[in-house]
Amino acid sequence: MAVKLSDEVIALINNSETVKVLATVDQDGNPHATFKQSLAVGEDGNLFFLELLESSQTNRNLVRSIWFNRKVTVTVRGKEGQSYQIKGKPVRNIIAGPLFEQKYVEVRERLGDVDLAGIWVIEPEEVSDQNYWTRKAAEEAAHPYFLHLDRLAK
Amino acid sequence: MSMALKREDQIPLSYSEVVREHPDVPPLVILKIDVQRRGVHYTQNALNVIDPSVHQLRSPNIFGARDAQLTPVPDSLLLRDGSSIVVDPTPLERNPYLVDVVDGQLVLTDQGEVLETVDFWTKPDFYDKKTSSGALMNHVITARPQRINVFPSGFCHFWVNDKGCRFCDVVNHLKQQRAELGIPTRQNPQDVFEAVREALKQPGRFTTICLTAGSDTRGAEPFDQEVDYYIEILQAIGANFKVKKFPSQLVATAFTEKQLARLYEETGIRSYTTDLEVLNEELFEWVCPGKAEWVGYREWKNRLIRAVDIFGRGYVGTGIVGGVETAKPKGFTSEEAALRSTLEEAEHLISHGVNVVFSVWVPRPGSYFKDQKSPSLDYYVRLAKGLHQLRVKYGLPVDFDDYRRCGNHPDTDLARLL
Ligand code: SF4
Repeated sequence: MAVKLSDEVIALINNSETVKVLATVDQDGNPHATFKQSLAVGEDGNLFFLELLESSQTNRNLVRSIWFNRKVTVTVRGKEGQSYQIKGKPVRNIIAGPLFEQKYVEVRERLGDVDLAGIWVIEPEEVSDQNYWTRKAAEEAAHPYFLHLDRLAK
Repeated sequence: MSMALKREDQIPLSYSEVVREHPDVPPLVILKIDVQRRGVHYTQNALNVIDPSVHQLRSPNIFGARDAQLTPVPDSLLLRDGSSIVVDPTPLERNPYLVDVVDGQLVLTDQGEVLETVDFWTKPDFYDKKTSSGALMNHVITARPQRINVFPSGFCHFWVNDKGCRFCDVVNHLKQQRAELGIPTRQNPQDVFEAVREALKQPGRFTTICLTAGSDTRGAEPFDQEVDYYIEILQAIGANFKVKKFPSQLVATAFTEKQLARLYEETGIRSYTTDLEVLNEELFEWVCPGKAEWVGYREWKNRLIRAVDIFGRGYVGTGIVGGVETAKPKGFTSEEAALRSTLEEAEHLISHGVNVVFSVWVPRPGSYFKDQKSPSLDYYVRLAKGLHQLRVKYGLPVDFDDYRRCGNHPDTDLARLL
């Protein structure tokens, strides 16, 4: 079920200084995580990124995901330490057409003599705040046993 | 009993039943096969979406369509996974899928159920331009979403003594295109050069060039004239590139080593396909009498295998018209036997580095087999899976004929996972 990303998350993902990692799995369940700095949020609210290599493990894993309905995750971390994880599923692979050609030209202007295999569109389904302090407060509230006693000693 | 029939009532499995039966095959690929098998009909709402300045409408082609028309309907479809469905418009009485508009989106439907969103192909920039001789460029070369098609000649000399392949409508279609659109029987190499030059000006639009034409038996050695003409056309195309070899596919007759060496050395061609059409010697003689007369089944196979020495492993292929092995009255009567025999023969070729790919058999109105019926969806899914598994077993790549560079072979769509 698709969710709408908050303005804060969108701004974080669209910031070029944010570190962005896409994790997929292969057919045997092996995780594969790579930096995808081209990850951004489109006007339709979906995430997209540019895959430059047709034969990359990410590309193959995403094909498997779109074919067999498997999820992927995107983890982003901003320079102020904000961090979110977005679970979603690939819903589209654009390999031709006006948007593809526009991105093809843009990426070549930016990186030189590279190719573009496709634009992957990922529909977000779940967002979680991965910032340590936010996660710590949540854990303390939900699991009062998950700590060492010396931290409570007088 | 055929494997594609439900045990209890012998009714072929439906699309959703076949999807359940094959959880290891992507439903999108199964849908693509069924849409190719049954064809599509565009509703008026779908036709209203067409913008002739944006969408690619039915282009000249080497083969005809199931509706026997040249009317300007969308050329074909793109699925959301990036694969194409190269599909014919089909009369409603033949129970095709519908392309319709639901909630503002173009969709494929069947019996009122929305199955997938689809897109029309977009028209390349060169399409409405003219060459210096005045030829409309889309009458010289045509396009798929990522490939340039060149059909240098629409005539096949096997038809001269009525020995054209029985599923093929090439010459009848040529006559129709010549009469209604003025498409020439042979393309002028200079026109092809200019049209390809224009096509390459559109960044990101094309990844390969595919050439195919009818067979030409003439020459000092049979087919020498066909080879000479391809060399001329390929050299004209090659003049547009700064490298000698460029991603390309020649789909042609089974040539001798001498002819193939000339093609490889004198042009930029990178891959070679020569279609056996049906993987069974007796059926080949019946279905492809011209090929049988001029080359023969065993020699055709030998030439394929020898071509691997010239073009390299993974750069030679043969196409089969999937399902024609069940044509009546001489074809297999059981789908089980047809599949077993086809995959056995395919394994022999694949083990020698020759790719075997299939297209879904569409009995076309302009062919001998016009009144025949293609086999079940389940059959095609097993054929796709079987060919893919053989490629996996022998580690044979099929980059030159995959989902993007061709898009017409469900089995090579599966190679995206390799
Ligand atoms: S060789 Fe067969 S399939 Fe090819 S054009 Fe001639 S008749 Fe048609």
